[in-house]
Amino acid sequence: MNVHPTILAMPVAIPLLFGALSLLMQGIRTPHRVRVQQILAGIAIGANLILALLLLSYTLSGGRMSFQMGLWPAPFGITVYIDGLSAIMLTTVGLLSALIFPFAVATMDAERARLGFYPMALFLLMGANGAFITGDLFNLYVFYEVLLMSSFVLLTLGGTPSQINGGIRYVVLNLMGSMMLLLAAGITYGTLGTLNMAHIAVRMGATPYLVQAVIAGLLLIAFGAKAAAFPVFFWLPSSYHTPHPAVTALFSGVLTKVGMYSLFRTFPLFFPWLLDEWQPLILTIAGLTMVIGVLGAFAQPTIRRLLSFHIISQIGYMFMGLGVAMAPTPYGVGFGLALAILFLVHNQIVKTALLLGGGAVELETGTGKLNELGGVVALRPFQAALFFLAAFSLAGFPPTSGFIGKLGLLEVTFSSGSWVIAAVSVFVSLLTTMSMIRLWQYVFWGKPHSKYRMPKKLATQGASMAMTVPVLILVVLSIAIGVMAQPALDAVQVAASQVIDRVGYVETVGPELTASDLQIPFGNYPADAVAAGR
Amino acid sequence: MTEIYLRLVNLILTPLIILVAILLFLRGHDLPGGGFIAGLLVAAALELTILSRGATVTREQYGPWLIPLVGLGLLVAVIAGLLGIYGGGFFHGMWIEFYLGGDKIKMGTPQLFDLGVMLVVIGMGVTYLLRLSEAAEAVSKNDAVEGEQP
Amino acid sequence: MTAIMLAVLVGVLFACGAYMILLRGQIKLVLGLGLITHAVNLALFGTGKLTRGAPPIVPHEQQVTAAMAGQFADPLPQALILTAIVISFGVTAFIVVLIYRRDALTGSDLAPGELATVINTSDPFAPFSSRMVMPEAADDYDILQFELDEVYDNPQAEGADE
Repeated sequence: MNVHPTILAMPVAIPLLFGALSLLMQGIRTPHRVRVQQILAGIAIGANLILALLLLSYTLSGGRMSFQMGLWPAPFGITVYIDGLSAIMLTTVGLLSALIFPFAVATMDAERARLGFYPMALFLLMGANGAFITGDLFNLYVFYEVLLMSSFVLLTLGGTPSQINGGIRYVVLNLMGSMMLLLAAGITYGTLGTLNMAHIAVRMGATPYLVQAVIAGLLLIAFGAKAAAFPVFFWLPSSYHTPHPAVTALFSGVLTKVGMYSLFRTFPLFFPWLLDEWQPLILTIAGLTMVIGVLGAFAQPTIRRLLSFHIISQIGYMFMGLGVAMAPTPYGVGFGLALAILFLVHNQIVKTALLLGGGAVELETGTGKLNELGGVVALRPFQAALFFLAAFSLAGFPPTSGFIGKLGLLEVTFSSGSWVIAAVSVFVSLLTTMSMIRLWQYVFWGKPHSKYRMPKKLATQGASMAMTVPVLILVVLSIAIGVMAQPALDAVQVAASQVIDRVGYVETVGPELTASDLQIPFGNYPADAVAAGR
Repeated sequence: MTEIYLRLVNLILTPLIILVAILLFLRGHDLPGGGFIAGLLVAAALELTILSRGATVTREQYGPWLIPLVGLGLLVAVIAGLLGIYGGGFFHGMWIEFYLGGDKIKMGTPQLFDLGVMLVVIGMGVTYLLRLSEAAEAVSKNDAVEGEQP
Repeated sequence: MTAIMLAVLVGVLFACGAYMILLRGQIKLVLGLGLITHAVNLALFGTGKLTRGAPPIVPHEQQVTAAMAGQFADPLPQALILTAIVISFGVTAFIVVLIYRRDALTGSDLAPGELATVINTSDPFAPFSSRMVMPEAADDYDILQFELDEVYDNPQAEGADE
């Protein structure tokens, strides 16, 4: 397939163009402004999804592409780069936004829609897409800020007291994380003299260990804060339960996962050897994140607070995958990374399904408090069954995608000798199951309360469909990945092999990058560890 | 609201500051200046209006146009990027040169992008200043009401 | 020497910013964030090697040669700082508006909820009446209330605008 590299700019340009158009609509006082914005958002989300699928089919057949913004040559201009991992992330985020969109259209109240929900959602999409395709460390920071600024507005849209409270904590803690990322970019430029990711990868091998450790540590803190890993996760549970349920679902599918994506991208590219040397540290973070997330979930009194603690717990599994990403396994190096990517995709799908299902319950009953809920299974049996399946996929039961992801991660962790963390992950899975059963029992089981207030707007057939069908599609997708695991595993293995192929990355971005630094050893790790500077 | 001198200053100075901002914007590509700084200057000029005439009047006058201005600015910026595709790639700079009365005038997509930045900064900056001024006015009004009671 | 002084300055700014963020008042929080962003901007400034150089603009007629290498200041850190300043300006503006909004809603500079029992006075022997007790924590589901009230009170809410 022959595509012009300029198409790589489109995942950013399309949401930006339509977001700008619908922000322009914001000034037009017509009664149909929200309708127009919805149509614009629908077009943008559809085009984005088609584009992402196109790029996915291109990259999974082994291709990768790069493009220089403004045609400035490689280390000077901004690089845009796409491979399997980027395309997978673009596709899942595109798909999730396409599924959350009808939910939002059906349930979003007129006030919030009028205040600009749709343009802000498009800017969020633009920021996430940009972070997935950029090949420049500072540009990554800029896209993070685009993502965060739009998420600030989405989080506080409507301005109720709890939203403002959550919003302030969210903004402060995320700003600190961004500052760490900026500092890492600054130190990288000061020591390596470049910000292009491929160029950084080439030059990293020749820098002293101390510099590597400082950059890696700052990146770990920054992306860990974005991904809500153990010591820096506090912004997530104090804010995720406050906005509209559609916004929470969008955040859970996009925000923390961009942080994980950045870890998967930068660590194997810049310093793959540190993933081996720092394995105890990363696995400790993973274990603590898992345990604290799931234990925190037990103490939570409402649906979305409980589910947001589960987001943290699941991030721990992805950190476990990162820890064993470069570990030697019977299936070759990089299999751990492949499974971590698979788990990331699984988690995006299932978490969004759970938050959409839980959000629908909250919207339909008027409360999310566990002790005020009960008996929803009698009112909405189909939704209850879907929620049940998604919850068991989260816990890791066969035949869902959670089973494949967790089994694979367990296998790789065992075979790389880290059996403590493997045992912890099994124990956490058990706790997750208990927590999910507790949630399901409180919300769906028992006798229905008489106090439920179903808003008229949601009582129509169309609204009910818009709230159920996205969850259905996500649950079917999760089971499909679980049943037909081989194609999914093949796809993520292609992606992982492209991620750990540092030489290929640099050659795709610009072969002249290595030519200028011939004295620096550079190669793939650990296949030619000596050449990689180790 | 009887700041008659401030209103006079506003009447004279605001157009002048906006002219300086346009000058800064036009020289911005090769010399110090540019869209961001010009946008901040325009926002500062409008802050003078807010100070002299009050936030409420200013809101009535400019309020509805601020957020669409941000949208327009983003639109102009992304169009500047998309025009570059014609020249070979997204955000590729394209320039037109022509002579106007003996002076060489150079215009291009980077300037268009800068114009977009300027509009975004004006929109966001004035929104922010208006919001804060409204808050300050509300506080001073509260203080005045409380001050009347013994 | 300048580099060391700059490093110390960055460290001091970071420390002061962290201290101010940990204080209870919200305005101190904003000032602390401002100090930290300035610290990071200064650190970025330091990455460009603190030298006196000409502005990195070469006139159109002149050729770029290798001999010119050391004469110019590095423009990239300045571009990075400008971008970072713009972004942190935007975030700070946003958080100031949020804090004002919270102040208008709860009538207090302090955070409600977790700090409900905290008393807003430095004098532990002050009479009880002069202590300010925090407002109640906001209900998690005030968002749904907003939603439900709107839908019930105004059935045509969907189409009606302004």
